[in-house]
Amino acid sequence: MSLTKITDKAGLHRHLEAAMQLEHATIPPYLNALYSIKPGTNTEAFHILRAVAVEEMLHLTLAGNILNAVGGTPDMTVPGFVPLYPAYLPDGETDFQVDCQAFSRAAIETFLKIERPAQGATPGVDTIHKGRKRAHHNGHKRHGTALRARHVPGNEEEHFYSIGEFYQAIEEGLERLHAEMGDALFSGDPARQIGPEYYYSAGGGLMAVTDLASAKAAIRLISEQGEGVTDNIFDYEGEIAHYYRFEQLLLGRYYQKGDARGRPTGREVAVDWDAVFPIKANARIADFPEGSALRQGAEEFNRAYGDFLSLLTRAFQGEPALFVEAVGGMFQLKELYYQIMRQPLGDGTHAAPTYEIPHG
Amino acid sequence: MADMLDGFLALSAALTGFTGHRLRGTGQAEAYLATATGIVGEGVMRDLLLAADEARASAGGDAAKHEAELRRLIMSDDRLGPVARNIIRMWYVGSWYQLPKPWREAHGQSPRDHDHVVSPISYTEGLLWPAIGANPAGAKPAGYGMWAMPPRIAPG
Repeated sequence: MSLTKITDKAGLHRHLEAAMQLEHATIPPYLNALYSIKPGTNTEAFHILRAVAVEEMLHLTLAGNILNAVGGTPDMTVPGFVPLYPAYLPDGETDFQVDCQAFSRAAIETFLKIERPAQGATPGVDTIHKGRKRAHHNGHKRHGTALRARHVPGNEEEHFYSIGEFYQAIEEGLERLHAEMGDALFSGDPARQIGPEYYYSAGGGLMAVTDLASAKAAIRLISEQGEGVTDNIFDYEGEIAHYYRFEQLLLGRYYQKGDARGRPTGREVAVDWDAVFPIKANARIADFPEGSALRQGAEEFNRAYGDFLSLLTRAFQGEPALFVEAVGGMFQLKELYYQIMRQPLGDGTHAAPTYEIPHG
Repeated sequence: MADMLDGFLALSAALTGFTGHRLRGTGQAEAYLATATGIVGEGVMRDLLLAADEARASAGGDAAKHEAELRRLIMSDDRLGPVARNIIRMWYVGSWYQLPKPWREAHGQSPRDHDHVVSPISYTEGLLWPAIGANPAGAKPAGYGMWAMPPRIAPG
Protein backbone atom coordinates (compact mmCIF):
# COMPACT_ATOMS: atom_id res chain seq x y z
CA MET A 1 0.00 0.00 0.00
CA SER A 2 1.17 3.46 -0.71
CA LEU A 3 -0.40 6.72 0.34
CA THR A 4 0.82 10.15 -0.57
CA LYS A 5 -0.34 13.58 0.53
CA ILE A 6 -3.87 14.34 -0.64
CA THR A 7 -3.69 16.79 -3.52
CA ASP A 8 -6.66 15.76 -5.61
CA LYS A 9 -9.93 13.89 -5.44
CA ALA A 10 -8.35 10.61 -6.48
CA GLY A 11 -5.93 10.89 -3.58
CA LEU A 12 -8.80 11.56 -1.21
CA HIS A 13 -10.61 8.49 -2.55
CA ARG A 14 -7.49 6.37 -1.97
CA HIS A 15 -7.26 7.56 1.61
CA LEU A 16 -10.92 6.85 2.28
CA GLU A 17 -10.63 3.41 0.66
CA ALA A 18 -7.69 2.81 2.98
CA ALA A 19 -9.79 4.08 5.89
CA MET A 20 -12.49 1.50 5.17
CA GLN A 21 -9.87 -1.21 4.85
CA LEU A 22 -8.27 -0.02 8.08
CA GLU A 23 -11.49 0.03 10.07
CA HIS A 24 -12.39 -3.39 8.78
CA ALA A 25 -8.91 -4.81 9.47
CA THR A 26 -9.42 -4.25 13.19
CA ILE A 27 -12.65 -6.23 13.30
CA PRO A 28 -11.47 -9.86 12.80
CA PRO A 29 -8.81 -9.53 15.56
CA TYR A 30 -11.38 -7.99 17.90
CA LEU A 31 -14.00 -10.64 17.08
CA ASN A 32 -11.51 -13.49 17.49
CA ALA A 33 -10.66 -12.25 20.98
CA LEU A 34 -14.31 -11.54 21.79
CA TYR A 35 -15.68 -14.92 20.77
CA SER A 36 -12.74 -16.85 22.20
CA ILE A 37 -14.07 -15.87 25.61
CA LYS A 38 -16.04 -18.87 26.83
CA PRO A 39 -19.73 -17.99 26.84
CA GLY A 40 -20.91 -16.93 30.26
CA THR A 41 -17.45 -15.98 31.58
CA ASN A 42 -15.47 -12.72 31.58
CA THR A 43 -18.64 -10.70 31.28
CA GLU A 44 -16.91 -7.35 31.72
CA ALA A 45 -14.13 -8.06 29.25
CA PHE A 46 -16.72 -9.41 26.82
CA HIS A 47 -18.70 -6.19 26.95
CA ILE A 48 -15.64 -3.98 26.60
CA LEU A 49 -14.48 -5.90 23.53
CA ARG A 50 -17.94 -6.08 22.04
CA ALA A 51 -18.57 -2.36 22.39
CA VAL A 52 -15.26 -1.56 20.69
CA ALA A 53 -15.88 -4.03 17.85
CA VAL A 54 -19.34 -2.56 17.23
CA GLU A 55 -17.90 0.96 17.16
CA GLU A 56 -15.33 -0.12 14.57
CA MET A 57 -18.29 -1.25 12.45
CA LEU A 58 -19.78 2.22 12.92
CA HIS A 59 -16.48 3.79 11.86
CA LEU A 60 -16.35 1.56 8.80
CA THR A 61 -19.83 2.72 7.83
CA LEU A 62 -18.93 6.38 8.41
CA ALA A 63 -15.80 6.02 6.25
CA GLY A 64 -18.01 4.49 3.54
CA ASN A 65 -20.41 7.42 3.84
CA ILE A 66 -17.61 9.96 3.45
CA LEU A 67 -16.23 8.09 0.43
CA ASN A 68 -19.69 8.02 -1.17
CA ALA A 69 -20.19 11.71 -0.38
CA VAL A 70 -17.08 12.72 -2.34
CA GLY A 71 -18.04 10.61 -5.34
CA GLY A 72 -16.03 7.48 -4.56
CA THR A 73 -17.19 3.88 -4.76
CA PRO A 74 -16.95 1.78 -1.61
CA ASP A 75 -16.04 -1.78 -2.52
CA MET A 76 -15.35 -4.37 0.15
CA THR A 77 -15.14 -7.22 -2.31
CA VAL A 78 -11.79 -6.39 -3.91
CA PRO A 79 -9.13 -9.04 -3.30
CA GLY A 80 -6.94 -7.90 -0.43
CA PHE A 81 -9.65 -5.86 1.26
CA VAL A 82 -9.56 -8.43 4.04
CA PRO A 83 -5.91 -8.87 5.04
CA LEU A 84 -4.27 -12.16 5.81
CA TYR A 85 -3.23 -12.10 9.43
CA PRO A 86 -0.72 -11.27 10.81
CA ALA A 87 -1.12 -7.98 8.99
CA TYR A 88 0.10 -4.42 9.07
CA LEU A 89 -2.57 -1.77 9.38
CA PRO A 90 -3.36 -0.10 6.05
CA ASP A 91 -2.48 3.41 7.25
CA GLY A 92 1.21 2.60 7.05
CA GLU A 93 1.96 1.85 10.70
CA THR A 94 4.98 -0.33 10.10
CA ASP A 95 6.30 -0.92 13.60
CA PHE A 96 3.86 -3.70 14.50
CA GLN A 97 1.68 -6.38 12.98
CA VAL A 98 -1.80 -7.38 14.09
CA ASP A 99 -2.51 -11.01 14.96
CA CYS A 100 -5.85 -12.78 15.03
CA GLN A 101 -5.56 -14.49 18.39
CA ALA A 102 -7.38 -15.56 21.54
CA PHE A 103 -8.30 -13.15 24.31
CA SER A 104 -5.02 -12.73 26.19
CA ARG A 105 -2.66 -10.08 27.52
CA ALA A 106 -0.74 -10.25 24.24
CA ALA A 107 -3.94 -9.62 22.27
CA ILE A 108 -4.87 -6.62 24.40
CA GLU A 109 -1.33 -5.22 24.07
CA THR A 110 -1.74 -5.37 20.29
CA PHE A 111 -5.14 -3.68 20.57
CA LEU A 112 -3.50 -0.87 22.54
CA LYS A 113 -1.12 -0.34 19.63
CA ILE A 114 -4.04 -0.26 17.20
CA GLU A 115 -5.85 2.34 19.28
CA ARG A 116 -2.82 4.28 20.48
CA PRO A 117 -3.08 8.04 20.83
CA ALA A 118 -1.28 10.31 18.43
CA GLN A 119 2.45 10.77 18.82
CA GLY A 120 3.31 13.24 21.48
CA ALA A 121 0.36 12.12 23.53
CA THR A 122 2.24 9.03 24.64
CA PRO A 123 5.63 9.87 26.09
CA GLY A 124 8.66 7.90 25.04
CA VAL A 125 7.40 6.52 21.75
CA ASP A 126 8.64 7.08 18.26
CA THR A 127 7.35 10.01 16.31
CA ILE A 128 5.48 10.01 13.06
CA HIS A 129 7.62 9.39 10.06
CA LYS A 130 6.81 10.24 6.50
CA GLY A 131 9.80 8.50 5.08
CA ARG A 132 10.49 7.38 1.56
CA LYS A 133 9.37 3.81 0.97
CA ARG A 134 10.30 2.82 4.45
CA ALA A 135 7.65 0.14 4.50
CA HIS A 136 9.37 -1.72 1.70
CA HIS A 137 12.74 -1.70 3.38
CA ASN A 138 11.88 -2.85 6.85
CA GLY A 139 12.47 -6.50 6.11
CA HIS A 140 9.08 -7.72 7.28
CA LYS A 141 7.02 -9.99 5.18
CA ARG A 142 3.92 -8.04 4.29
CA HIS A 143 0.59 -9.75 4.07
CA GLY A 144 -2.45 -8.74 2.20
CA THR A 145 -2.44 -5.05 2.97
CA ALA A 146 -3.24 -4.71 -0.66
CA LEU A 147 -4.71 -1.36 -1.15
CA ARG A 148 -4.34 -0.87 -4.87
CA ALA A 149 -1.31 1.34 -4.86
CA ARG A 150 -0.85 4.06 -7.40
CA HIS A 151 2.53 5.57 -6.98
CA VAL A 152 2.77 9.28 -7.58
CA PRO A 153 6.33 10.10 -8.70
CA GLY A 154 8.12 12.68 -6.64
CA ASN A 155 5.79 12.41 -3.70
CA GLU A 156 6.74 10.92 -0.40
CA GLU A 157 4.83 8.01 1.01
CA GLU A 158 2.88 8.68 4.12
CA HIS A 159 3.19 6.45 7.15
CA PHE A 160 1.10 7.41 10.11
CA TYR A 161 1.98 6.64 13.68
CA SER A 162 -1.66 6.37 14.69
CA ILE A 163 -5.12 6.06 13.24
CA GLY A 164 -5.94 9.49 14.66
CA GLU A 165 -3.18 11.11 12.61
CA PHE A 166 -4.32 9.25 9.52
CA TYR A 167 -7.79 10.77 9.90
CA GLN A 168 -6.23 14.17 10.56
CA ALA A 169 -4.57 13.92 7.17
CA ILE A 170 -7.92 13.04 5.61
CA GLU A 171 -9.59 16.00 7.29
CA GLU A 172 -6.85 18.35 6.09
CA GLY A 173 -7.21 16.93 2.59
CA LEU A 174 -10.97 17.48 2.69
CA GLU A 175 -10.50 21.09 3.78
CA ARG A 176 -7.83 21.74 1.17
CA LEU A 177 -9.91 20.33 -1.66
CA HIS A 178 -13.04 22.07 -0.42
CA ALA A 179 -11.19 25.39 -0.47
CA GLU A 180 -10.24 24.70 -4.08
CA MET A 181 -13.45 23.18 -5.39
CA GLY A 182 -16.16 24.36 -3.05
CA ASP A 183 -19.21 22.16 -2.58
CA ALA A 184 -18.50 20.46 -5.91
CA LEU A 185 -16.24 18.23 -3.79
CA PHE A 186 -19.36 16.58 -2.40
CA SER A 187 -20.58 15.30 -5.73
CA GLY A 188 -21.82 11.93 -4.47
CA ASP A 189 -25.44 10.82 -4.68
CA PRO A 190 -27.03 11.51 -1.26
CA ALA A 191 -29.29 8.49 -1.81
CA ARG A 192 -26.20 6.30 -1.26
CA GLN A 193 -25.78 7.44 2.32
CA ILE A 194 -26.38 4.88 5.06
CA GLY A 195 -28.26 6.97 7.59
CA PRO A 196 -29.51 6.35 11.10
CA GLU A 197 -32.71 4.80 9.71
CA TYR A 198 -30.66 1.72 8.81
CA TYR A 199 -28.69 1.53 12.01
CA TYR A 200 -29.47 0.83 15.59
CA SER A 201 -28.02 0.20 19.00
CA ALA A 202 -24.47 0.42 17.89
CA GLY A 203 -22.13 2.76 19.62
CA GLY A 204 -23.47 6.15 18.80
CA GLY A 205 -24.79 8.04 15.89
CA LEU A 206 -24.50 7.05 12.31
CA MET A 207 -24.76 10.20 10.22
CA ALA A 208 -25.28 10.88 6.56
CA VAL A 209 -22.38 12.84 5.02
CA THR A 210 -23.34 15.47 2.46
CA ASP A 211 -21.04 18.44 3.07
CA LEU A 212 -17.84 19.52 4.79
CA ALA A 213 -19.48 19.97 8.19
CA SER A 214 -20.98 16.47 8.28
CA ALA A 215 -17.75 14.95 6.93
CA LYS A 216 -15.77 16.63 9.71
CA ALA A 217 -18.32 15.53 12.29
CA ALA A 218 -17.98 11.93 11.10
CA ILE A 219 -14.17 12.12 11.34
CA ARG A 220 -14.39 13.65 14.79
CA LEU A 221 -16.63 10.83 15.96
CA ILE A 222 -14.23 8.18 14.62
CA SER A 223 -11.17 9.83 16.13
CA GLU A 224 -12.66 10.48 19.51
CA GLN A 225 -14.17 7.04 19.94
CA GLY A 226 -10.96 5.38 18.95
CA GLU A 227 -7.74 6.67 20.29
CA GLY A 228 -8.37 10.34 20.13
CA VAL A 229 -5.78 12.70 18.77
CA THR A 230 -5.21 14.13 22.19
CA ASP A 231 -4.46 12.41 25.45
CA ASN A 232 -8.00 12.67 26.77
CA ILE A 233 -9.25 9.51 28.42
CA PHE A 234 -12.84 10.66 28.06
CA ASP A 235 -14.28 12.56 25.09
CA TYR A 236 -16.72 15.49 25.05
CA GLU A 237 -19.65 13.16 25.57
CA GLY A 238 -17.97 11.53 28.56
CA GLU A 239 -17.32 8.34 26.62
CA ILE A 240 -14.05 6.56 27.29
CA ALA A 241 -11.74 6.09 24.29
CA HIS A 242 -10.94 2.58 23.05
CA TYR A 243 -7.30 2.78 24.07
CA TYR A 244 -8.20 3.36 27.71
CA ARG A 245 -11.01 0.80 27.68
CA PHE A 246 -8.48 -1.85 26.70
CA GLU A 247 -5.92 -0.57 29.16
CA GLN A 248 -8.45 -1.18 31.95
CA LEU A 249 -8.29 -4.91 31.18
CA LEU A 250 -4.51 -5.01 31.60
CA LEU A 251 -4.50 -2.80 34.68
CA GLY A 252 -7.48 -4.61 36.22
CA ARG A 253 -9.29 -1.44 37.16
CA TYR A 254 -11.79 0.97 35.59
CA TYR A 255 -10.97 4.58 34.82
CA GLN A 256 -13.10 7.29 36.29
CA LYS A 257 -13.27 11.00 35.60
CA GLY A 258 -10.20 12.88 36.77
CA ASP A 259 -7.84 9.89 36.57
CA ALA A 260 -4.38 10.28 35.13
CA ARG A 261 -3.33 8.08 32.22
CA GLY A 262 -2.08 4.69 33.35
CA ARG A 263 -3.49 5.13 36.85
CA PRO A 264 -7.20 4.23 36.92
CA THR A 265 -8.83 4.51 40.32
CA GLY A 266 -12.30 3.06 39.64
CA ARG A 267 -13.51 -0.33 40.77
CA GLU A 268 -11.75 -3.54 39.85
CA VAL A 269 -12.26 -5.27 36.50
CA ALA A 270 -12.45 -9.01 37.02
CA VAL A 271 -10.60 -10.79 34.21
CA ASP A 272 -10.19 -14.56 33.94
CA TRP A 273 -7.47 -14.98 31.30
CA ASP A 274 -7.95 -18.78 31.39
CA ALA A 275 -11.69 -18.94 30.60
CA VAL A 276 -10.86 -18.79 26.91
CA PHE A 277 -10.94 -21.21 23.96
CA PRO A 278 -7.22 -21.63 23.22
CA ILE A 279 -7.66 -20.79 19.54
CA LYS A 280 -4.74 -21.08 17.16
CA ALA A 281 -3.32 -17.66 16.31
CA ASN A 282 -3.66 -16.60 12.67
CA ALA A 283 -5.21 -19.95 11.73
CA ARG A 284 -5.39 -20.90 8.05
CA ILE A 285 -7.60 -23.36 6.21
CA ALA A 286 -4.47 -25.42 5.54
CA ASP A 287 -4.18 -26.00 9.31
CA PHE A 288 -7.36 -28.09 9.25
CA PRO A 289 -7.30 -31.67 7.98
CA GLU A 290 -8.24 -32.01 4.32
CA GLY A 291 -11.73 -33.41 3.84
CA SER A 292 -12.65 -32.86 7.51
CA ALA A 293 -15.99 -31.46 8.60
CA LEU A 294 -14.04 -28.76 10.44
CA ARG A 295 -12.37 -27.66 7.22
CA GLN A 296 -15.76 -27.54 5.52
CA GLY A 297 -17.12 -25.51 8.42
CA ALA A 298 -14.22 -23.04 8.22
CA GLU A 299 -14.65 -22.74 4.45
CA GLU A 300 -18.37 -22.17 4.96
CA PHE A 301 -17.53 -19.32 7.33
CA ASN A 302 -15.21 -17.71 4.76
CA ARG A 303 -17.87 -18.02 2.05
CA ALA A 304 -20.51 -16.57 4.38
CA TYR A 305 -18.17 -13.72 5.28
CA GLY A 306 -17.50 -13.02 1.60
CA ASP A 307 -21.26 -12.98 0.96
CA PHE A 308 -21.69 -10.60 3.87
CA LEU A 309 -19.09 -8.19 2.41
CA SER A 310 -20.80 -8.41 -0.99
CA LEU A 311 -24.13 -7.52 0.56
CA LEU A 312 -22.58 -4.59 2.44
CA THR A 313 -20.96 -3.41 -0.79
CA ARG A 314 -24.31 -3.45 -2.56
CA ALA A 315 -25.76 -1.47 0.35
CA PHE A 316 -23.00 1.14 -0.10
CA GLN A 317 -23.39 1.20 -3.88
CA GLY A 318 -26.97 2.38 -3.97
CA GLU A 319 -29.14 -0.12 -2.11
CA PRO A 320 -28.88 1.16 1.47
CA ALA A 321 -31.92 -0.86 2.60
CA LEU A 322 -29.78 -3.99 2.26
CA PHE A 323 -27.79 -2.75 5.21
CA VAL A 324 -30.44 -4.11 7.59
CA GLU A 325 -30.19 -7.57 6.09
CA ALA A 326 -26.39 -7.46 6.14
CA VAL A 327 -26.33 -6.56 9.83
CA GLY A 328 -28.81 -9.37 10.51
CA GLY A 329 -26.47 -11.77 8.76
CA MET A 330 -23.76 -10.94 11.29
CA PHE A 331 -25.71 -12.81 13.95
CA GLN A 332 -25.45 -15.95 11.87
CA LEU A 333 -21.72 -15.40 11.44
CA LYS A 334 -21.48 -15.33 15.22
CA GLU A 335 -23.07 -18.79 15.42
CA LEU A 336 -20.59 -20.13 12.86
CA TYR A 337 -17.80 -18.50 14.89
CA TYR A 338 -18.70 -20.41 18.02
CA GLN A 339 -19.10 -23.69 16.14
CA ILE A 340 -15.55 -23.36 14.80
CA MET A 341 -13.93 -22.16 18.01
CA ARG A 342 -15.25 -25.14 19.95
CA GLN A 343 -13.31 -27.57 17.74
CA PRO A 344 -10.05 -28.85 19.24
CA LEU A 345 -7.23 -29.37 16.75
CA GLY A 346 -5.56 -32.09 18.78
CA ASP A 347 -2.44 -30.07 19.59
CA GLY A 348 -3.90 -28.22 22.54
CA THR A 349 -5.26 -25.42 20.37
CA HIS A 350 -8.72 -24.87 18.94
CA ALA A 351 -9.78 -23.88 15.45
CA ALA A 352 -10.72 -20.31 14.50
CA PRO A 353 -12.14 -18.57 11.44
CA THR A 354 -9.35 -17.87 8.94
CA TYR A 355 -10.76 -14.94 6.93
CA GLU A 356 -9.33 -16.30 3.70
CA ILE A 357 -12.12 -14.92 1.57
CA PRO A 358 -12.76 -16.74 -1.73
CA HIS A 359 -13.02 -14.51 -4.80
CA GLY A 360 -14.64 -15.10 -8.15
CA MET B 1 -13.81 -40.25 30.32
CA ALA B 2 -11.95 -38.08 27.83
CA ASP B 3 -11.11 -41.22 25.86
CA MET B 4 -14.85 -41.83 25.43
CA LEU B 5 -15.58 -38.47 23.84
CA ASP B 6 -14.75 -39.42 20.25
CA GLY B 7 -16.86 -42.56 20.54
CA PHE B 8 -19.68 -40.59 22.11
CA LEU B 9 -19.57 -38.07 19.26
CA ALA B 10 -19.62 -40.87 16.67
CA LEU B 11 -22.57 -42.52 18.42
CA SER B 12 -24.35 -39.18 18.74
CA ALA B 13 -23.81 -38.36 15.06
CA ALA B 14 -25.38 -41.70 14.11
CA LEU B 15 -28.29 -41.16 16.50
CA THR B 16 -29.06 -37.51 15.68
CA GLY B 17 -28.21 -37.19 12.00
CA PHE B 18 -25.92 -34.21 12.65
CA THR B 19 -22.19 -34.35 11.95
CA GLY B 20 -19.67 -34.72 14.75
CA HIS B 21 -18.40 -31.25 13.80
CA ARG B 22 -21.84 -29.73 14.23
CA LEU B 23 -22.31 -31.57 17.53
CA ARG B 24 -18.98 -30.33 18.88
CA GLY B 25 -19.96 -26.88 17.67
CA THR B 26 -22.76 -26.78 20.23
CA GLY B 27 -20.18 -26.84 23.00
CA GLN B 28 -22.30 -29.42 24.85
CA ALA B 29 -20.60 -32.74 24.01
CA GLU B 30 -18.58 -33.01 27.22
CA ALA B 31 -21.56 -32.02 29.38
CA TYR B 32 -23.88 -34.54 27.73
CA LEU B 33 -21.35 -37.37 28.00
CA ALA B 34 -20.74 -36.54 31.66
CA THR B 35 -24.48 -36.31 32.39
CA ALA B 36 -25.35 -39.61 30.73
CA THR B 37 -22.35 -41.48 32.15
CA GLY B 38 -22.94 -40.08 35.61
CA ILE B 39 -26.47 -41.45 35.59
CA VAL B 40 -26.23 -44.80 33.78
CA GLY B 41 -22.69 -45.64 34.89
CA GLU B 42 -19.50 -46.12 32.93
CA GLY B 43 -20.25 -49.81 32.25
CA VAL B 44 -23.46 -49.11 30.37
CA MET B 45 -21.88 -46.21 28.51
CA ARG B 46 -18.90 -48.31 27.39
CA ASP B 47 -21.22 -51.09 26.20
CA LEU B 48 -23.26 -48.53 24.29
CA LEU B 49 -20.18 -47.14 22.56
CA LEU B 50 -18.96 -50.68 21.76
CA ALA B 51 -22.34 -51.52 20.22
CA ALA B 52 -22.12 -48.34 18.14
CA ASP B 53 -18.63 -49.36 16.95
CA GLU B 54 -19.92 -52.79 16.04
CA ALA B 55 -22.89 -51.36 14.11
CA ARG B 56 -20.59 -49.08 12.15
CA ALA B 57 -18.08 -51.85 11.43
CA SER B 58 -20.63 -54.37 10.24
CA ALA B 59 -22.37 -51.76 8.02
CA GLY B 60 -19.12 -51.14 6.14
CA GLY B 61 -20.22 -47.73 4.90
CA ASP B 62 -23.72 -48.83 3.83
CA ALA B 63 -26.03 -46.19 5.36
CA ALA B 64 -29.17 -48.33 5.27
CA LYS B 65 -27.37 -51.24 6.87
CA HIS B 66 -25.85 -48.93 9.47
CA GLU B 67 -29.31 -47.78 10.50
CA ALA B 68 -30.60 -51.36 10.62
CA GLU B 69 -27.66 -52.39 12.78
CA LEU B 70 -28.21 -49.44 15.14
CA ARG B 71 -31.83 -50.53 15.52
CA ARG B 72 -30.86 -54.16 16.08
CA LEU B 73 -27.91 -53.64 18.43
CA ILE B 74 -28.94 -50.52 20.31
CA MET B 75 -32.49 -49.24 19.90
CA SER B 76 -34.17 -52.61 20.43
CA ASP B 77 -31.87 -53.55 23.31
CA ASP B 78 -33.63 -53.28 26.70
CA ARG B 79 -30.54 -52.01 28.46
CA LEU B 80 -29.01 -49.75 25.78
CA GLY B 81 -32.11 -48.56 23.89
CA PRO B 82 -33.63 -46.29 26.55
CA VAL B 83 -30.23 -44.71 27.21
CA ALA B 84 -29.73 -44.05 23.49
CA ARG B 85 -33.21 -42.48 23.28
CA ASN B 86 -32.36 -40.23 26.21
CA ILE B 87 -29.12 -39.16 24.54
CA ILE B 88 -31.08 -38.21 21.40
CA ARG B 89 -33.52 -36.15 23.45
CA MET B 90 -30.66 -34.47 25.29
CA TRP B 91 -29.04 -33.38 22.02
CA TYR B 92 -32.33 -32.10 20.60
CA VAL B 93 -33.78 -30.25 23.58
CA GLY B 94 -30.85 -29.87 25.98
CA SER B 95 -32.52 -31.66 28.89
CA TRP B 96 -32.09 -35.06 30.53
CA TYR B 97 -35.37 -36.86 31.15
CA GLN B 98 -35.77 -39.54 33.79
CA LEU B 99 -35.28 -43.02 32.35
CA PRO B 100 -38.37 -45.28 32.03
CA LYS B 101 -39.45 -47.16 35.14
CA PRO B 102 -38.62 -50.66 33.79
CA TRP B 103 -35.07 -49.53 33.06
CA ARG B 104 -34.68 -47.97 36.51
CA GLU B 105 -35.95 -51.12 38.19
CA ALA B 106 -33.71 -53.40 36.17
CA HIS B 107 -30.49 -51.36 36.07
CA GLY B 108 -30.38 -49.24 39.19
CA GLN B 109 -31.63 -45.83 40.15
CA SER B 110 -29.18 -42.98 40.10
CA PRO B 111 -30.13 -40.09 42.39
CA ARG B 112 -29.27 -37.82 39.47
CA ASP B 113 -31.79 -39.51 37.18
CA HIS B 114 -34.45 -36.83 37.22
CA ASP B 115 -35.65 -34.32 34.66
CA HIS B 116 -33.22 -31.44 34.41
CA VAL B 117 -31.69 -28.94 32.01
CA VAL B 118 -28.06 -29.92 31.45
CA SER B 119 -26.41 -26.48 31.20
CA PRO B 120 -27.36 -22.82 30.93
CA ILE B 121 -26.91 -22.89 27.14
CA SER B 122 -28.03 -26.45 26.37
CA TYR B 123 -31.56 -25.27 25.52
CA THR B 124 -30.40 -22.67 23.01
CA GLU B 125 -27.87 -25.14 21.57
CA GLY B 126 -30.53 -27.84 21.13
CA LEU B 127 -30.58 -29.48 17.71
CA LEU B 128 -34.31 -29.06 17.42
CA TRP B 129 -33.76 -25.44 16.35
CA PRO B 130 -31.57 -26.08 13.31
CA ALA B 131 -33.71 -29.15 12.58
CA ILE B 132 -36.85 -27.04 12.19
CA GLY B 133 -35.02 -24.06 10.65
CA ALA B 134 -35.75 -21.60 13.43
CA ASN B 135 -33.92 -19.72 16.14
CA PRO B 136 -34.57 -20.73 19.74
CA ALA B 137 -37.43 -18.72 21.18
CA GLY B 138 -36.11 -15.91 23.33
CA ALA B 139 -32.47 -16.51 22.42
CA LYS B 140 -30.04 -15.96 19.55
CA PRO B 141 -31.75 -12.82 18.27
CA ALA B 142 -31.33 -12.37 14.53
CA GLY B 143 -31.19 -8.58 14.49
CA TYR B 144 -33.53 -5.68 13.88
CA GLY B 145 -36.00 -6.16 11.05
CA MET B 146 -34.98 -9.74 10.38
CA TRP B 147 -38.44 -10.93 11.35
CA ALA B 148 -39.56 -9.74 7.94
CA MET B 149 -37.21 -12.20 6.25
CA PRO B 150 -37.14 -16.00 6.13
CA PRO B 151 -34.96 -17.49 8.87
CA ARG B 152 -31.47 -18.36 7.74
CA ILE B 153 -30.39 -21.33 9.76
CA ALA B 154 -27.57 -23.58 8.68
CA PRO B 155 -29.03 -27.09 9.07
CA GLY B 156 -25.56 -28.56 9.70
